[in-house]
Amino acid sequence: MSYKMKTLIASALITWSVAGIAAEPIKIGVAGPFTGGSAPMGVSMRDGVKLAVTEINAKGGVLGRQLQVVERDDEAKNERGVQVAQELINKEKVTATVGYINTGVALASQRFYQEAKIPVLNNVATGSVVTKQFVAPEYKDNYIFRNAANDGIQSAMIVEEAVGKRKYTKVAILADSTNYGQLGREDLEKALNAKGIKPVAVEKFNIKDVDMTAQLLKAKQGGAQAILTYGIGPELAQIANGMEKLNWKVPMIGSWTLSMGNFLDNAGKNGDGATMPQTFIQDGNTPKRKAFIEAYQKTYKVDRIPSPVSAAQGYDSIYLLAAAIKQAGTTDGPKVREALENLNEKVEGVVTTYNKPFTHDDHEAIKPGVPVMGMAKGGHIVLSK
Amino acid sequence: MRVAWSYSSGLRIFGLKKMEILLQLVFSGIALGMIYAVIAFGYQLTFATSGTLNFGQGEALMLGALVGLSLVGNVHGGPYMSYWLMIPLVIVFGALQGMVVEWIGVRPAIKIKSEFGWIMSTIALAIIFKNVAENIWGKDDLTFPTPLTAAPFQVFGANVQPMQVVVVLGALAMMLAVEMFNRKSIYGKAVVATSNDRDAAGLMGINTSMVITFSYALSSATAAFAGVLVAPLTLTGATMGSALGLKAFAVAIIGGLTSGVGAIVGGLILGIAETLTGFYISTGYKEVPGLVLLLLVLAIKPAGLFGKTAIKKV
Repeated sequence: MSYKMKTLIASALITWSVAGIAAEPIKIGVAGPFTGGSAPMGVSMRDGVKLAVTEINAKGGVLGRQLQVVERDDEAKNERGVQVAQELINKEKVTATVGYINTGVALASQRFYQEAKIPVLNNVATGSVVTKQFVAPEYKDNYIFRNAANDGIQSAMIVEEAVGKRKYTKVAILADSTNYGQLGREDLEKALNAKGIKPVAVEKFNIKDVDMTAQLLKAKQGGAQAILTYGIGPELAQIANGMEKLNWKVPMIGSWTLSMGNFLDNAGKNGDGATMPQTFIQDGNTPKRKAFIEAYQKTYKVDRIPSPVSAAQGYDSIYLLAAAIKQAGTTDGPKVREALENLNEKVEGVVTTYNKPFTHDDHEAIKPGVPVMGMAKGGHIVLSK
Repeated sequence: MRVAWSYSSGLRIFGLKKMEILLQLVFSGIALGMIYAVIAFGYQLTFATSGTLNFGQGEALMLGALVGLSLVGNVHGGPYMSYWLMIPLVIVFGALQGMVVEWIGVRPAIKIKSEFGWIMSTIALAIIFKNVAENIWGKDDLTFPTPLTAAPFQVFGANVQPMQVVVVLGALAMMLAVEMFNRKSIYGKAVVATSNDRDAAGLMGINTSMVITFSYALSSATAAFAGVLVAPLTLTGATMGSALGLKAFAVAIIGGLTSGVGAIVGGLILGIAETLTGFYISTGYKEVPGLVLLLLVLAIKPAGLFGKTAIKKV
């Protein structure tokens, strides 16, 4: 409460100091898939973003200007993402863009922002290379930031859970054929290799595949004690259901997408026990988180947030961006980037409190140790013990 | 890895285990292949009578599955009835949907003897149906309540789900029923006559345009039926039809557009090829052998493995 009061007073003061100037709104682009298999993540992210924007605007906005969300559906397609990026930059003239769920779309679209010197804050896409596209020495400044747990962190956590904690020695990897799945698979193999373990099977599947028999039999034949996954909800559910078809059940441990609503719904009881890294679990264990969850449920009239991680990271991305714009005192791209890299203000988010989250060479706000392991239980994600 | 395995388990068991795996792959391939076969069969029905195809066959399957879901699931305040009671209703719905497709998309093209008009119009209708479905049922995949237990039983060491057996039997029964109808009933004979020679059948007093409408109704009804059969095994959603529809088209070409047996054999070939390649070669290539076969068939026997070679008079 005291935090709320403080921000309220602070923002009231700012509003008051610049009152009278009828300023144009600050446009912020929001790009993500609001349809298709990744939609639960995209929609939750967008709704988290809007929640933060509404809160900030209610307190007077930033620099005395209201924030305005310009949302575009990239349909999880690379080519569509490129169109959206060009539209947001050239037509809408956004100050910054937050979003990107799909690693492939992020990689295809970010070049335009880099060239236009407009910051991008990735709040969901996790591919390790996402923030490394434009790094020194080839590029002087990098405009791509992220406040999601990257695959390097996640794969290390997955392997730690399987090999370190549960002492499995035989594991199989099942990953989808998208950029997301294949880059994640590489990270998993690297993390396993660091522990001196070679997976007994490394299998691929396509989006919309309805039969996982071949992949699962390979894992079974190799004597896998667990299946490590990198994919999205619907196909992950097919894996869980496929194990039932074969009457063979081993634990699933995988990237955070095992928490997606469309995995939990479609896998039903077969999904119970699936374990995944989470930056945020729908469990109001701090007042800030409780307020966020309640506000989300009330505003969007849902009980279970489709993808709590995406919603929380979407929400935090706006607060980080708002803090940077405030510190820069302008919406000029290079200035906002500099402010992001030297944030003086501690930003209290729902995932964590960000204390100097970025530097010039480190554009990852989520460091190892921030995410926790979550576990599917009865259609919800709970903290894994 | 294989070597390590055989050390621990002994060679004899290893051999046995190998058989079990092969059997498991074949069973899964059959279940998958029969799904393709039913949809491919739907393509054949309309091709036989009118020389046209409904490229929205996959969407007809999707609509059937989603209508079925509304009746037996809780998406629209249900469940209203049991799974088995719902099937006849979905078949009727499918028939009506097929008639709409024929009436809007195909009849005008046949009337003006357009060679290609129906291709675009059936594709357009398919996209419209998909969009309508997205608006009614949402864009997410939904779970279809399974009428039988999902727990598998063992056949020679391989696991089979009861619903997979239902899919195979249901598909066979339906194709058999359509064949019987065509051979034994007078209406069926009208269908056969129209497929053999539309103009001659017309001169004999057969209302060929009604026969064509009927074949579209039958074709979409089989697809809708296939939809509710496979829905408990796969996920149900507005996009479930496109991939299945395309693969079934390949099956129809492999088997031959004029042969019911061809659809079954083609479906089984493609289904089993997919699961076997996935296991023995690589899951990354599992769709390749089926498509290579498609290319081979087109190059060597364009009418399909079981198709009659059509002589086109110019």
